[in-house]
Amino acid sequence: MATFSLLVTANPHSSQGQFSAIQFAKTLISQGHILKRVFFYADGVLVASRLNCPPSDEYNLTKTWAKLAIEHDFELVACVTVAMKRGITNAAEAERNALTGDNLDPAFEISGLGQLTEAMLESDRLVTFG
Amino acid sequence: MTTLYILNNPDLFQQCSAVLDENDGLLLIENAVVLAQQLEPKTAGFVLEEDLVARGLDSNGSWGNKDYDGFVALTLEYDKTVSWL
Amino acid sequence: MRKRLSIIFNKAPYGTQSGRELLDIALMAAAFDMDISALFIEDGVYQLLDNQQPDILHMKNHSSTFKALELYGIETALVSEDALIHRRLSQSQLLPVAQPAKQNELQSIIAQSDFVFML
Repeated sequence: MATFSLLVTANPHSSQGQFSAIQFAKTLISQGHILKRVFFYADGVLVASRLNCPPSDEYNLTKTWAKLAIEHDFELVACVTVAMKRGITNAAEAERNALTGDNLDPAFEISGLGQLTEAMLESDRLVTFG
Repeated sequence: MTTLYILNNPDLFQQCSAVLDENDGLLLIENAVVLAQQLEPKTAGFVLEEDLVARGLDSNGSWGNKDYDGFVALTLEYDKTVSWL
Repeated sequence: MRKRLSIIFNKAPYGTQSGRELLDIALMAAAFDMDISALFIEDGVYQLLDNQQPDILHMKNHSSTFKALELYGIETALVSEDALIHRRLSQSQLLPVAQPAKQNELQSIIAQSDFVFML
C-alpha cells in the first residue's frame, strides 16, 4: 500500500488531464492505496469553481472531484495565488480583496504552495497531470 | 533511480526521448497515444489502453498496453514519475 | 535525508506562464530546505536571456528572480550546452546564474532526483 498525491495543472475546459487525473485517483483508491491530496496549480485551479456549468450530458469535473474527495477523505487544494488571479476565490479571500462574490466549491480549499511541497514530502509518489 | 516518463503531447516526443536512460520507461497517454501506432520505443515503452480505445487506435505491437490499473502499478514499479509537459 | 527536487524549464518566457509558475514552486520548495536543481533545456534557455523587457507588454519580468536563486538556497542551476548551440546563443547573452552542462550531466541530475516538475 502506497501513499499518493497528485498535482493537476491541466485546464479543465480545454484538455484531457483532469479526466485522466480523476481516473488515476479512482484506480489507485480501488487498489487499496491512499490518496493524500490533490493539489491544483496553473490552469488546473479552474476546476475548483462551483459555478462551472457544463451541459447536462457532459461530465461535471468539479462535482466528480468533490464527490470522490468526500467519499474517500482526501484533500482538494487549489493554490491561492494562481486561483485568485483566475477569479477562483473563497469568501475570506473575496472579503480581503473587496470582491463582490465567491465561487470556490465547498469540497475544495485554497491554500499556499507549501501544501504542494508538504504533499511531496509525505507521499511515496507524486504524479502530475498537465 | 529509475524514472517513468509520462508523455501526453506527441509533439514533445523527441525532447522527452533525449533524456531517457536505458532503465527508464515511457508511458504514452492522452494525445500521445498516436505515437504507439507510428513509432517503436527505444526503452521500455507503454501505452494507456483506454486512451487508445477512446481514439479508435491500436498499438503497433511494440508498446506494452496498460489499462489504468497497470498505469498505477507502473508508477510504483519505477522510483519516480516525470510528466513531460 | 534531504529530498532532491529538479525543476525543468523547457519553454520560452511570456507566451505562457509556465516559467513564472515553475519558479514559484522552486522558491517554495527551497523554503522547505529541499535540495533543488533548476535545469534549463530546449527553449527554456530563453528564460535566462539577459535583456528581457516584458514590461513593454505590461507583463511582469520574472527573470530578475533567477538572479536570486542562490540567495534562496537553490545552488544548482544548469543550462544545456546543446540547447544553446542549437539556438546560436552564447553564455555571454545569459544572466550569469546557470552553469553550462552536457546532456549526460543533466540526465544524471534528473536520475538522482526524488521529484521532478515541469509545467
